[in-house]
Amino acid sequence: MRLPCARAFVVPVLLFAALELYARTVGRDSDALAPPSAAVAAFWRALADGSLLAGTGFTLGSAALGLLLGGGLGVLLGIVLGLSPRAARISFLSVEVLRPMPSVALIPLAMLVYGFGLRMELAVVAFATFWPLLILSQAATRQVEPQLLEVAQALGLSPAARIAKIVLPAIVPRLFVALRLGVTIALVVAVTVEIAANPHGMGYAMSLAQQSLDPAGMLAWLLWIGVIGYGLNALTLRLQLAVARRMGGSVGQAT
Amino acid sequence: MLLEFDRVAIHLGGREILSPTSFGVGEGEFVCVIGPSGCGKTTLLRAATGFVAPTAGQVRRQGRAMSGPSREVAFVFQDYGRALLPWRTVAQNVSLALEAARVPAAERSGRIERVLSTVGLGAHAGKYPAQLSGGMQQRVQIARCLAQQPQLLMMDEPFGALDAMTRESLQDELSRLVREQGLTVMFVTHDLEEAIYLGDRVIALRTNPSSDKPSLAAIIDVKLPRPREQLATKEDPEFLRLRRELYRYLGHH
Repeated sequence: MRLPCARAFVVPVLLFAALELYARTVGRDSDALAPPSAAVAAFWRALADGSLLAGTGFTLGSAALGLLLGGGLGVLLGIVLGLSPRAARISFLSVEVLRPMPSVALIPLAMLVYGFGLRMELAVVAFATFWPLLILSQAATRQVEPQLLEVAQALGLSPAARIAKIVLPAIVPRLFVALRLGVTIALVVAVTVEIAANPHGMGYAMSLAQQSLDPAGMLAWLLWIGVIGYGLNALTLRLQLAVARRMGGSVGQAT
Repeated sequence: MLLEFDRVAIHLGGREILSPTSFGVGEGEFVCVIGPSGCGKTTLLRAATGFVAPTAGQVRRQGRAMSGPSREVAFVFQDYGRALLPWRTVAQNVSLALEAARVPAAERSGRIERVLSTVGLGAHAGKYPAQLSGGMQQRVQIARCLAQQPQLLMMDEPFGALDAMTRESLQDELSRLVREQGLTVMFVTHDLEEAIYLGDRVIALRTNPSSDKPSLAAIIDVKLPRPREQLATKEDPEFLRLRRELYRYLGHH
């Protein structure tokens, strides 16, 4: 693990060195590019004045809350639709009409209803994450071993216990696939909302830097958002491993 | 009668699987159901459990019509691998039955321990199903059904997927359990000798029922002394006579 790790840094370091060289020579008058060293300096400034922490906190907070709300509801409804073919038939049309709606198209409406701030961003993120998690958990539930559901019936488990003790654990591997997708979508949509409308968070800070012709600041935010995205994915993977270990290794196969 | 089949017929997908069949199962009785594959023996067992509603007739438990599965009727699936929760240990799998019956958490561990030791799994409580052999996994399923404390134990070819040695030792263990705990069992199998060896009565079914040949081919009383023993019982002239008789009923000539 350690050796390939060191090797993995070779390409990025070379790329940064090339960019540094380019930005300091040929592109020294560019309004779009800044040497990475200047971006690092801008990063430290943002860290020192607290804007980095505030922006990151806002974006991650609204992405997480939106995912919790939209994804949570999506998973619950997905399980219900997966268990009941009748409910699935009844809601099929509504789902298929609403689902393809681009979530960012909701920004104007959300702004009208909630104004600027946390709630409008949360609403758009929740809408965006609701559908994929609904569809994925519905498909996962349909594939739960039917015999396990009969076991639940024969044991006389209540419907709630059936979901909590049989269905949910059975779909955990697929839920983690859905969660990783949901985390990515939540971050993308949150940043998009901030770039397009909401004057808060990392997306807004980045577009502000762009508008004030500060390529170093813009690059700093861009790289930072990349680091955050990578970190979030790594975090979900570790969570998945930890859960798999707790469930006797029966969960890890679907990674 | 603990369980009564009153002219129960079952059609699945437009085909008559079981033509009108009547019989009763008394308390403490061990009834084996036998027949070639496709004769509807599993369907009959599923109707007796409440998984399948009869197309005509009525299944009654203690005089009342069955409306669906209940905690009083436990079901042992043939495919133990897909009936156990792979993410729960042996003890936790048994615990599922107690959780469903809302047994207080404080009582559970004692009861789990007791039921696991009756099926000889006392030392394996902390293992996951995937770490156990097929025979042991089937014991876990039986333990879970026993923990349910059912009136009736339904078993669908429970030993069909096991090797001969394991099957014989589980047969003897099941006989012992039934004797000790006074269980009432319906046991589906396609193995003639297993049916006679275990049962107090054997119900023989035939495939493709017609008006002059109903599903129910014969009901035979097995009056072999208990406890039975793998070698002596199977060499008993009565055992051989029953085997010959059933063989004929099942349409072999």
